[in-house]
Amino acid sequence: MQTLNIKIGGQAGQGLVSVGTILLRAATQEGWHLFAHQDYESRIRGGHNFFQIRLADQPVASWEDDVDILVALDETTVTQELGEVKPDGVVIYDPDVLGDAAKELVTKENCIGLPFARMAEELGQPRIMANAVAAGAVWALLSEEITVLHETLALMFADKGEAVVAGNQQVASHGFERVRGLLGARPRPAKPAKSRPHLVLRGNDALPLGALAAGVKFMSAYPMTPSTGVTEFIASYGREAKVIMEQAEDEIAAINMAIGASFTGVRAMTATSGGGFALMTEALSLAGSAEIPIVVINAMRPGPSTGLPTRTEQGDLRFAVAMSFGDFPRAVLAPGDVEEAFYLMAHAFNLAEEYQMPVVVLSDQHLADSYTTVPPFDLSKIEIRRGKLAAPEEAGPAYLRHRFTEDGISPRLYPGFGTGLVVSAGDEHDEAGHLIEDAETRRKMMEKRMAKQRLVEDNALDPVLCGAEDPEIMLIGFGSTKGAIAEAVAVLNSRGCRAQGVHLPQVFPLPRRLGELLQKPAQKFIVESNYSGQLEELIASRFAWKPTGSIRRYDGRPMNAKYILDRLPGGECRG
Amino acid sequence: MAEQGFVVSRETAWCPGCGNFGIVRALAKALSELGLKPQEVLFVSGIGQAGKLPHYISGNVLNTLHGRTLPTATGAKLANSDLTVIAVGGDGDGYAEGGNHFLHAIRRNVDITYIVHDNQVFGLTKGQASPRSDRGMVTGTTPLGAYNEPFNPLATAITLNAGFVARSFAGDQEHLARVLKAAIQHKGFALVDVLQPCVTFNRINTYQFYRSRVYDLDQEAGYDRSDRQAAWARSWEWGERIPIGIFYQVERPTLTDHFGDIVDVPLVKQELARGELVEELLHEFRVG
Repeated sequence: MQTLNIKIGGQAGQGLVSVGTILLRAATQEGWHLFAHQDYESRIRGGHNFFQIRLADQPVASWEDDVDILVALDETTVTQELGEVKPDGVVIYDPDVLGDAAKELVTKENCIGLPFARMAEELGQPRIMANAVAAGAVWALLSEEITVLHETLALMFADKGEAVVAGNQQVASHGFERVRGLLGARPRPAKPAKSRPHLVLRGNDALPLGALAAGVKFMSAYPMTPSTGVTEFIASYGREAKVIMEQAEDEIAAINMAIGASFTGVRAMTATSGGGFALMTEALSLAGSAEIPIVVINAMRPGPSTGLPTRTEQGDLRFAVAMSFGDFPRAVLAPGDVEEAFYLMAHAFNLAEEYQMPVVVLSDQHLADSYTTVPPFDLSKIEIRRGKLAAPEEAGPAYLRHRFTEDGISPRLYPGFGTGLVVSAGDEHDEAGHLIEDAETRRKMMEKRMAKQRLVEDNALDPVLCGAEDPEIMLIGFGSTKGAIAEAVAVLNSRGCRAQGVHLPQVFPLPRRLGELLQKPAQKFIVESNYSGQLEELIASRFAWKPTGSIRRYDGRPMNAKYILDRLPGGECRG
Repeated sequence: MAEQGFVVSRETAWCPGCGNFGIVRALAKALSELGLKPQEVLFVSGIGQAGKLPHYISGNVLNTLHGRTLPTATGAKLANSDLTVIAVGGDGDGYAEGGNHFLHAIRRNVDITYIVHDNQVFGLTKGQASPRSDRGMVTGTTPLGAYNEPFNPLATAITLNAGFVARSFAGDQEHLARVLKAAIQHKGFALVDVLQPCVTFNRINTYQFYRSRVYDLDQEAGYDRSDRQAAWARSWEWGERIPIGIFYQVERPTLTDHFGDIVDVPLVKQELARGELVEELLHEFRVG
């Protein structure tokens, strides 16, 4: 795989996301595959943020440390990020924002000073068009022609009018020509042989899109980074999609509203992060007891407490699996990329309704905010299964919401449909849903609910495998480490070391197939972004097993192949 | 005892003589007189002795968590606006654990009726101070007497411009049934705070205490229930004379109104997935 990494650094509010978005759309149009991740601070203005795009000639799902093109919109990008630029890399900086000391750092010939805002002004355009100047400057290192960049700007600014489009195109050309004049022709990054249409989107786009495809009708949430993108997405398309998104007063209200909506028979969900997820614990157990389907997206960020609000970690796994007073059935899913995020949402709603229980979808900041190019989603793959339903005309006065059945699943009736009454409670209850105190009913009701947990396990999603089928080394992970593990596995195999990646899209209940994989005679490493090895503990307790070793990251930064390979012990093929 | 389909259960977990009996009977009467059928009504309740009420009357029931009655009822009403949604809870459930939700349910003006069994004490946990306990009330957690400013639900609701703010008395079923009917008919959030004697843990606010003090605002010549300032002033009257009746009533858009076309048909009666719409949305992310 041939790749090229562009890093755009600046302060919050300076427009680095605009530069990044222009470039990633244009690059996708031009035919590259890409992965773009965002690193930002918990503040509205200032600080040091970056937007990093990795172009590739093959599908790509992770990031690299080394930078080919650094775009510095502020001084900190120069002082902090220069060390990451490859020896033959290019630095494009704005001399107007550098102090004398920083200017000393960018004197080499591969460093190009472009006063972005001033260049826009030279052409009589507003300073805000500095973003298009920077995008044009970078584009000169990617393409001979500016046409595609112009087309992208035309699409992105279409709703702002022709003058804005023309202005942006004009200043982009200015940046483009200046860099071309200074550096001349440079080798272009490798592109895929064939260019096909692609979607370019983030986890925070794919998850709500998946929910809409699955027929979600109600969402309630309280804003919390990094989950807020999901909430705003559903809110923004509410009118067209005929979905209600109500902003709640807190996360407790959010999940309880969704539970109330779900009880009446609509597909309902909420989305949150860390602390908000913790506040939902009690309601999750209500959904378990009262057998109400509910889907909760938890976009993880480093804890404990408020932790690092804008960064990434997989530290809520143990909590998602165990959050409970008392026992109740559940499933926990962990999509590893935007494609899986989209399709798993439909699966989450199906599981929630078929087994009438809460389903948690674990995302994290890295998945939520990172863009990937993927082939267009296939809606015909989305299957909607609503589980056992009682026919309203048949469900008369004898209807029992929590009727004992062989598989523990009682057919649902939606209140108000037919003459049957739907009675449910978080208190222990009888088949009719009314409160009980007797031991026998309690025992049977607990066994009925937990029988569903066995069914969920029987139907658990199998691990997703990549690499060698007879591995010497196996790397096991879940969620957003999928791309990093896959890349590490590819690197190992290219060095002649048989490696296999095992990604778990379902982390609870764990699939039995994982137990079989663990019997393979390879050295096995658990790769996860948390301190204590929560996946390792989960697998160890389920299969009475210990890995060869563990690779963990808990500095708030996303996993990548280099991080994994650097920590694999010994062996020449590991680099 | 049957009230046209709204059967009130004889078996309850309430103490003999509890004010809750008067509330459930008045509620059955109100619902029957409004011509509703049990399958058209959804009761949502929390935890506490009041939270058990839905189990003792015919209807759909979601008996949820302590304090979470209002968000749950809000979600249910938004998803199926054809249901008559009645939230029921005690003063601990609604004004302590659920205090935040109380404020925001009023702000949303969701079209539900909220009945609060206000006995000024925690009953089910056997006698602790509630936000409604009068200063000086000796309870299990306030052995020297309650010391916090009592919560005034009516004043709070009027301050937030709740559409329907009323108080009634569990010992006057006629009055209570009349107020409940008006509350259920009101379009928007309707609060009915019911003075409910706790015969076991509150020896101060007894049936006799209230009988000698309550007077009906609805019978007051010249009382204008659309006058917010007057309603607010009355909500602070608590002593030798205690007003009951409808303090304040105004119509304003409900939460469902706000969602307009989204709920032209109740959400639960709409087709689930709209594939062509998702195709359109996906197109926005398509490049090349």
